[in-house]
Amino acid sequence: MRAISLKIGLDLGSTAIKAVIAEGENIVWRGIRATAPGQESVAKDLMDEGLSSLGAGIDSVSGVASTGYGKKLYSSADKHLDEITSNAIGAFILSGKEARTIINVGGQDLKILTLDDAGSVTDFKMNDKCAAGTGRFFELAARILDTPLSDFAGLSIDSGEEIEINSTCVVFAESEMVSLLARGVKKEDIIRALHCSVARRVSGLLGRFADTGVVYLDGGPALNAGLASALEDELMTEVRVLESPQFTVAFGAAMSLDA
Amino acid sequence: MNAADNMSRSPRALKIFKKTSERAEAEVRKNLESLTGREDYSPDFDYFIELCRGDSSPESIEARTGRAVMRLLCIQAPIELIHAAGFHPYKIASGSQAMTNLALQGLPALMCPMLRAVLGAVMGSESGEPSGVKPWILPTTCDWVVKFPEMLASSGTDCASVHWMELPHLKDGDSCQALWLESVFGLKKFLESLGARVSRKPIEDSIRIYNNAWRALSRLAMMRQEGRMANVWFTLIAGSFFLDSPERWTAAALSINPTPAARSSPKSARVFLAGSPIFFPNFKLLHLLEDAGISVVSDDLCSGERIFPGAVTCKDTSEFGMISALAQRYHQGCLCPTFIDNDRRINNILSRREVTDFHGVVFHVLKGCHPYDLESLGLEMKLKERGLKFLRLETDYAAEDSQNLRTRIEAYHGTLKG
Repeated sequence: MRAISLKIGLDLGSTAIKAVIAEGENIVWRGIRATAPGQESVAKDLMDEGLSSLGAGIDSVSGVASTGYGKKLYSSADKHLDEITSNAIGAFILSGKEARTIINVGGQDLKILTLDDAGSVTDFKMNDKCAAGTGRFFELAARILDTPLSDFAGLSIDSGEEIEINSTCVVFAESEMVSLLARGVKKEDIIRALHCSVARRVSGLLGRFADTGVVYLDGGPALNAGLASALEDELMTEVRVLESPQFTVAFGAAMSLDA
Repeated sequence: MNAADNMSRSPRALKIFKKTSERAEAEVRKNLESLTGREDYSPDFDYFIELCRGDSSPESIEARTGRAVMRLLCIQAPIELIHAAGFHPYKIASGSQAMTNLALQGLPALMCPMLRAVLGAVMGSESGEPSGVKPWILPTTCDWVVKFPEMLASSGTDCASVHWMELPHLKDGDSCQALWLESVFGLKKFLESLGARVSRKPIEDSIRIYNNAWRALSRLAMMRQEGRMANVWFTLIAGSFFLDSPERWTAAALSINPTPAARSSPKSARVFLAGSPIFFPNFKLLHLLEDAGISVVSDDLCSGERIFPGAVTCKDTSEFGMISALAQRYHQGCLCPTFIDNDRRINNILSRREVTDFHGVVFHVLKGCHPYDLESLGLEMKLKERGLKFLRLETDYAAEDSQNLRTRIEAYHGTLKG
């Protein structure tokens, strides 16, 4: 049995619930499930699964922190923390304390954070209630194009023709994609155009002339290397994808227990 | 009678008006219940609560005040002059989401929600005509106000009785101030054309009455600043000002005793609230700020501390002298972003910071309120240069973005603590 040293971070997001178990500043287990009704019980199952796989019991846990839209739904957490602060803490540690600008592409929102040398949030921007250019947008695209999201990066590299998708609106982009497919445009070209379209939206939120230095990308869609590449082209700066980018926020929540 | 007019009087339209009114009443009821259920509720607030709960139709205000109503859409017209002519200046405003849905289809999608709600309320109340003939006094402030009569006419409501006050959007310069003075004298002439007599004594009395009201509001602002009154109460009280006679409102405001603000603790982060106005019952933003542990200790909203331009002082108490003093106060003292030379806005925030300890500025932009939206970036840069944390929140009357706003406000609170 482990000593009491495990910290658990739960990120109850709009599309997925993520759990991280950390020991010190290391992620020793992580798990993800789709958001579903009864979020507290989904999160608890996930946590139990993690502890079980580590051969640990709840008595090994020094604290649980929850974050994300559903953070208050996990009522037994020792701490509830907003996802922007959690993201900053997680990304700062996982980047080896190098991150100063973070772009988080979440299930329903886009966030841009700037940090100081101590990893504290100095400023942030976030899209308003429109879900344009977020994880939902990519999910919709995957459905219309009948292509798994995991194939997006590889396919976009094979794009031969530069086309433009004008909308990142989940509703309008659907009709735009359907009409492109009807015109015989290749999937590869559409996927690349999607990445560029989201990159332009992120760039608009960031401010075109902001001097950001290296940018760190996280959130589920950061797993799509095609998006990171499009962002580099649009932002004209290096974009680094954090390891396990969809777990950064949950990890940050766990690490906040030390504060 | 045009097509829109026919539509606005149809049995179906009347049913829609009725249903919308019920929804609007439910909004008011729900919000007032949440306020009266608070720990810091005091019977001292009952007068203001009842004003907000009651019928706010012009006819009802006339019955309450015993004066014919002169309708306004903003605080730029000198209310003292209107009062001196024997009318009750009634600034119509609405924070009702239900009423925004009643406004005519085909209006711009990204439109000022406040004026959209007012249009809805006017359309609903005027299905039976009466207040359609009551005059509007409209200074040419923002584009939405300027186009309001056209939008009202498109919805089938007679708005022939509008008195325009041309507002120079530059403050500095003799010609601008002379033009505005001419507009204010034009208002006097208009009021007299309705049979009123606007003479020295009533003007002097009205200035005193509204100065007293300003002092009463300033006392409440001080209580808020000292943590003895929550911002939601302050906003409710300020927002109720035009719903009754200024004397009665002032007496009720002066009778409020200090009570500790609920949820305000030494750990609360203190902020200045700037930007677009906030009207009851749309207190969404105020509640979210409070829930996150943020106390608004001062504001520059034209629905809050700025419902008056400040005290009007007259060295020259002749009729001309007092009207000139009113004109100058309303023109020079206004912080509305529709003005071009508006450094006074940032100077006001910075000077408040010297006397009121606050950690940051929350800037509220009502979607479609372009003047405030345009001004926010420059203000953000200047305030950040001076070390103030700044949060711009763009929203409307719908509740659907509450979670998104909550995330930002909570994170902002974290930066204030840091």
